[in-house]
Amino acid sequence: MTRTALLAPLIGALALAAPPAQAEEGKRVQITGEVIDTWCYFSGVMGGPDAVVGSAHHTCALWCAAGGIPVGVLAEDGTVYMVVKWDGGADVTTSDTLLTVQSHLITADGVHFERDGVNYLLVEEVVADQGITNLTHEDYGPVPPFAIPDPNG
Amino acid sequence: MLRTLALLAATAVATTVAATPALAEGDFSAGSEAKEWGLFGEEKARFTATVTDAVCALTGDCPEDCGAGARQMVLIRDADGAMIIAAKNTQPAFTGATVDLAPYCGQSVEVDGVMVGDPEITGQPTRIYMVQTVRAEGGEPAKTNRWTKEWRAAHPDAPKGPWFRNDPRVTALIGKEGYLGLGLETDAAFIEEWF
Repeated sequence: MTRTALLAPLIGALALAAPPAQAEEGKRVQITGEVIDTWCYFSGVMGGPDAVVGSAHHTCALWCAAGGIPVGVLAEDGTVYMVVKWDGGADVTTSDTLLTVQSHLITADGVHFERDGVNYLLVEEVVADQGITNLTHEDYGPVPPFAIPDPNG
Repeated sequence: MLRTLALLAATAVATTVAATPALAEGDFSAGSEAKEWGLFGEEKARFTATVTDAVCALTGDCPEDCGAGARQMVLIRDADGAMIIAAKNTQPAFTGATVDLAPYCGQSVEVDGVMVGDPEITGQPTRIYMVQTVRAEGGEPAKTNRWTKEWRAAHPDAPKGPWFRNDPRVTALIGKEGYLGLGLETDAAFIEEWF
């Protein structure tokens, strides 16, 4: 049986079915916000949302990004965008440049999709990087507390 | 190409089955053996789904291996076609689910875990998934605990201890910018005051 013959029922089913999700277009956007760790933000595992952003949570954000947890951009209006492309590439968990902007306030051009309550951002280009501006360590100290090893042992 | 078609089929069938809005997680808690973590809005969720990566599901750019752990992974739930982002594996070690799910790329699986996220706390409807086990058709449930094993295999000379204390990418950045990310001078002053 040829590959075409094998695929024929599948193609037929597709023709009859409702349009697949891929048909939906993303929307061009420019988002300004802080690069955050989405697991800690949504799960509360390290505390409330205000404690798991900024300088207090910077080391944890590095760990989570390096560990492959989705990186997000927390926009000025409070919306979190899941970064699934960075600098136009989809290999986000191995991106060194994505790691270097953890906790930074950035402005990114990209494409936005919303699916089932989750906002996805395909970043094409970072057009501004203001570094870390959210000095949460002044209020919370390191989050989690062991993020900075105690120099006294 | 074949993976793209398979995903299209899964999505299309799910879309046809589910003309109704996405079901609540409570509808998927039956039979779940997921461990509770006490997280915001936590609900157990066990369901069947097709494994794929987020960029594939959104744009149709679908490598055969879902990026082999480098792309963020999603689950297209059979019952309602909902696209669930798999943000976390089961290890309490700052580890995501990409490495654990990529081997199942394009496959139909049963997953067990917890959905988390509380709209009243975060001000948005976003909920994300911690996948704790994955079971391929005809197989046994496998714990999602591959990440640290693969990291150790990739870093055979790393010192003993948690991966996150020894990861060269992380330690290089902390060595350059400090634990707070604000520079070594700011770091030193804070550490002296805090401890």
